[in-house]
Amino acid sequence: MSNISLETLKEWSKLGHRSSFGESIVLLARDRKDVVVVSADITPTARLVNFQKEFPDRFFNTGIAEQNMIGFTAGLAIGGLMPFAVTIAAFAPMRCAEQVRSMLGYMDLNARVVGIEAGCRFGPLGNTHFAMDDIAVMRVIPNFTVICPADPHEIYKTVFAVAEHKGPVHIRLTGAPGSPLLYPNDFDFKIGKAIEYRPGKDVAIIATGSVLWEGIRAADILEKKGISVRVIDMHTVKPIDVNMLDSVFAENKLIVTVEEHSIIGGLGSAVAEYKAGFEKAPKQIMCGLGDSFRKIGNYEFQMKDNGLVAEGIAEKVAISL
Amino acid sequence: MEKNKLINEIRDKTELMRRDCIEMGYAAGSQGAHFGPALSCLDIVATLYFGVMNHDPKNPEMPERDRFVLSKGHACLAYYAALIETGYIPKDMISQFKGNNSILCGHPSMNMQYGIEVSTGSLGSGLPIACGMAMAAKFKGEAHKIYCIVGDGECNEGIIWEAAFNAVKYKLDNLTVIVDINDFQLSGRTSEVMPINLDALWKAAGWEVLYIDNGNDVEEVLQVLTKAKESEYGKPHVLLAKTVKGKGISFMENNLAFHAAPINDEQYKQAITDLKTAEMIRKEE
Repeated sequence: MSNISLETLKEWSKLGHRSSFGESIVLLARDRKDVVVVSADITPTARLVNFQKEFPDRFFNTGIAEQNMIGFTAGLAIGGLMPFAVTIAAFAPMRCAEQVRSMLGYMDLNARVVGIEAGCRFGPLGNTHFAMDDIAVMRVIPNFTVICPADPHEIYKTVFAVAEHKGPVHIRLTGAPGSPLLYPNDFDFKIGKAIEYRPGKDVAIIATGSVLWEGIRAADILEKKGISVRVIDMHTVKPIDVNMLDSVFAENKLIVTVEEHSIIGGLGSAVAEYKAGFEKAPKQIMCGLGDSFRKIGNYEFQMKDNGLVAEGIAEKVAISL
Repeated sequence: MEKNKLINEIRDKTELMRRDCIEMGYAAGSQGAHFGPALSCLDIVATLYFGVMNHDPKNPEMPERDRFVLSKGHACLAYYAALIETGYIPKDMISQFKGNNSILCGHPSMNMQYGIEVSTGSLGSGLPIACGMAMAAKFKGEAHKIYCIVGDGECNEGIIWEAAFNAVKYKLDNLTVIVDINDFQLSGRTSEVMPINLDALWKAAGWEVLYIDNGNDVEEVLQVLTKAKESEYGKPHVLLAKTVKGKGISFMENNLAFHAAPINDEQYKQAITDLKTAEMIRKEE
């Protein structure tokens, strides 16, 4: 794995997470001959055209058939290859959840499931196209590792890191084209090891995925009010970094979890589950999608409507302190 | 090996395997076992392991081995019996079927030490996995074959047809599927629960379709499997095999009550008597 240039990262940042993944997987495939991509008729949408052009014999389109995509992926993994199954997050894992569990999880296969457009960016398309539940579904399946990268650089690091990882992995991609580059410089990325993005004493904002940016902006707002805010990039939701959580419980007074996912079963739940074992641990506020189907509207509307913007997060914190 | 000698050897093995099935199912006590669907495909499994597939029980992970996937995982008694009689699974594990912390689960759970290639049990799961395994072999230039047994009831599952289209698209001629047509599924006759024309469907999906009129006749099964193995169609082949549910045990044959059921002491004795009688008749012939 070589360092990626700032120019490339800036370009990917403009293009969005689909291109960041689509180009990263091409770079990985040049390094590793066992990497193959399986998709369920999503080639241009998932920006897999370049991969298909460069590696036509390593690209499989199983048609609009997500269950079959996962079964085929399982067989390729059993056959000694390193498959990445890619489709829209609304359809994998939910459309093929049982296959993901019984095939990839149960047999602990070296297969990767990549969900593009997770969360609610497909806002105008309606609730069939939202993935509010994918972390919950994947987190409950034994053997699975769940990673939600926050920016193009972290997507690139994730793609290379999972290639060295044993067992099944879910990569969840969120955010619109033009989302900011949060890691312009090289940084250490290890699966299961959270990154302290910014130190702080009072509040700990723990975020996963591209919404980390709103957490950082919320920290800026709160700092202006004299509140010291620690920001943590919990890119791996499972296994969750308990060492980082131990440190937060010991050092911070309020925890704020931020995720573009249902508040049931996602990052907030993972933190709360661990916290339940402590007699004294800070209060936790969960910022995420509520337990209802969403209104229809564009991404900006969705994020505001669900309080997943800096102002909304900061307001919740101010009320709680 | 001389053909008749091989057929007789496989028949000997089917007798041992049927006994293993009864012993395992009896050992499971009140938990019972899927006797019917195992006994219907048992002669096919035996023919694969003793007459068709390249494999080595002393080296379960031999790279060039042919692979077997039991898509109808509930028929695992037949699979385990084959693995017992080939030597992958020691005979003293028979009593552990469905036991606490046992390797011999009620549906196969991947364990290469004992020759169990793939976990199945959720119907429809084996075929798409077998397709991926066949694709990986082609991609890597490996010559081994993939054999997959699917149930006729299992063909209700949509994923079977998703996988069937996919196998043709990727020209998986290293994949052979055998459909165990015993015409029963959990709640009734397959032809009544979900009447589908398997012959027309597999043909329409683009498969090379071969037929086994009696899937419990080792000679015919061997003949058709050999034909499939020696033919290059540029597409996957499916063998539609008519079988008898519960084959070989008088009170289980075509009896839906023994799709999955426990057997009591009397039934156990009757089953063993049936098998001994059949063995005697065969020897006299």
